Amino acid sequence: MTAIETHDLTKYYGDLCAIDHLTLSVDNEIFALLGPNGSGKTTTVLMLTTLLRPTEGTATVHGYDCATEGEKVRKHLSYVPQDMAVDIRLTGRENVIFFAKLYGVPDPRRQAEEALEIMELADRADDLVKTYSGGMRRRLELAQALVHNPAVLFLDEPTLGLDVAARKKIWEHIQELRGRGMTIFVTTHYMDEADKYCDRVAIISRGSIRAIGEPKALKAQLMKDVITAIISGEYSPVELSGIRYLGRKENEVTFTAENGREALPLIAESLSALGMKVHSLSLHEPTLDDVFLNVVGSSDEPRSFNDKQFRVMLRRR
Amino acid sequence: MKGIWYYMERDLVKWARGKVAVITLLVMPAAWLIFVGLALPVKFTGNYLDFITPGILVMTMLASSLQGGSLLMFDKVLGFLNKFLALPSPREDILFGKILFITIRGVIQATVILLIAILIGATILSPFQYGMIYLILILFGVLLSGLATTLALYIDDHDTYAAVNTLISMPLFFTSSALMPYSVMPSWMRDVALVNPLSFAIDAIRSVGTGQVPLLQMGLLFVVGGIVLVVCVRVFRNMTV
Repeated sequence: MTAIETHDLTKYYGDLCAIDHLTLSVDNEIFALLGPNGSGKTTTVLMLTTLLRPTEGTATVHGYDCATEGEKVRKHLSYVPQDMAVDIRLTGRENVIFFAKLYGVPDPRRQAEEALEIMELADRADDLVKTYSGGMRRRLELAQALVHNPAVLFLDEPTLGLDVAARKKIWEHIQELRGRGMTIFVTTHYMDEADKYCDRVAIISRGSIRAIGEPKALKAQLMKDVITAIISGEYSPVELSGIRYLGRKENEVTFTAENGREALPLIAESLSALGMKVHSLSLHEPTLDDVFLNVVGSSDEPRSFNDKQFRVMLRRR
Repeated sequence: MKGIWYYMERDLVKWARGKVAVITLLVMPAAWLIFVGLALPVKFTGNYLDFITPGILVMTMLASSLQGGSLLMFDKVLGFLNKFLALPSPREDILFGKILFITIRGVIQATVILLIAILIGATILSPFQYGMIYLILILFGVLLSGLATTLALYIDDHDTYAAVNTLISMPLFFTSSALMPYSVMPSWMRDVALVNPLSFAIDAIRSVGTGQVPLLQMGLLFVVGGIVLVVCVRVFRNMTV
């Protein structure tokens, strides 16, 4: 049974299309939905966790239909939203036991103890959550989520607002859960984290998937080196053999080439010849950021801000 | 069903640990009871404290219930509601747990007010009469907390909620029979007071005090409360897919 499957999943908020015919299959892996704010990541998760009804298309989780078999779907998943909602006036243990009871697990106390241990919170379990750091609160949410041993775990921006050490720890825990056989569906806009820790990523922009695959395979679509030039002046396209233009983000222009060292002077010369001033050039190995630039084209700012549509969107959440 | 209990338990523990909030909600009704109940020179009754106590008990439930709606609003705004909605336990349990907690809290606070009233000289009634009074308070509490939680589903910020709360509670209290009997009210106010749900509850408690069983008012509270609950559940289902 596939953990998550969607077919032509579509969501409109009024006439704003948030998700456009999304077809996905995720099973037994850490899968990341990668994209900037407003690209439709949270909307997708809300539909998969039965919190939002799709306009069109179908989605199943653990074999059950998200639209018609909500309760069965919810029995097999856990959802950690990005807000970090834990009760600060309860202890860590009370927070987890509360969820264990609501999930209807046979022995809430013991299961909670186990979950707290996995998340390395056992020694602080009886302190009020008020005294926990951001990273600990996030781990507590993970403990709440895994207390009923779900088949699928949905994490919306699990490392948002945490420091580097706490992020690393969260990802290590996520990988450990993956080792226990859980399918993990995360959304993030941190490309480097997705690259490092996820088995497969899908790059989403304006509600549709632009690229999907293992990070390594996605990066292999580019050539061996990536060159970024910071320029001023109006950009006009540069045509050079062996060098491919990837995209532009404000005053940064990015190219890819088989041999970066040789490409550097060529790029500098032709940019200058076309009347641009080159401030700096840098050379690095391909990252998911470059893949993103390649598949999305330019910096993907959400369309001109429409206040009314935005409010409709928030209300529907 | 168990879910209702667990949700209620969560709010109860959280409330009991917030020591300041436990006391602040009691200050206003206690002040009314002591400063108005003992001090106001009135001519229509010899024992104004006995007259005003039912009004203050109902007022305690009113304040507690309306304030309670903000708990659901905060759960919604802070992201708890989304987490709860993704749980396998029936979604309505969230709502009923809230209403149960708000009513229990109101009853606890009303008990404190009742003890203060007895302490400063209100007439002591029979256990059966107290039982009736509690039943009326519970019916009234369910009605009001149903109303408050429905409002909370529509409102997204605390300031608006507090404003709406005041907008409802003040006029409702002053146009009820809490402070004076119908006979001394100006006629325009009497018309309002007669259809005010607060008056149903207050009048019911007063007639319990005189030894009657106010089936009509209790029936009315029961029916109106039932209607509010049905509306509340419908709104909740609508808002949460």
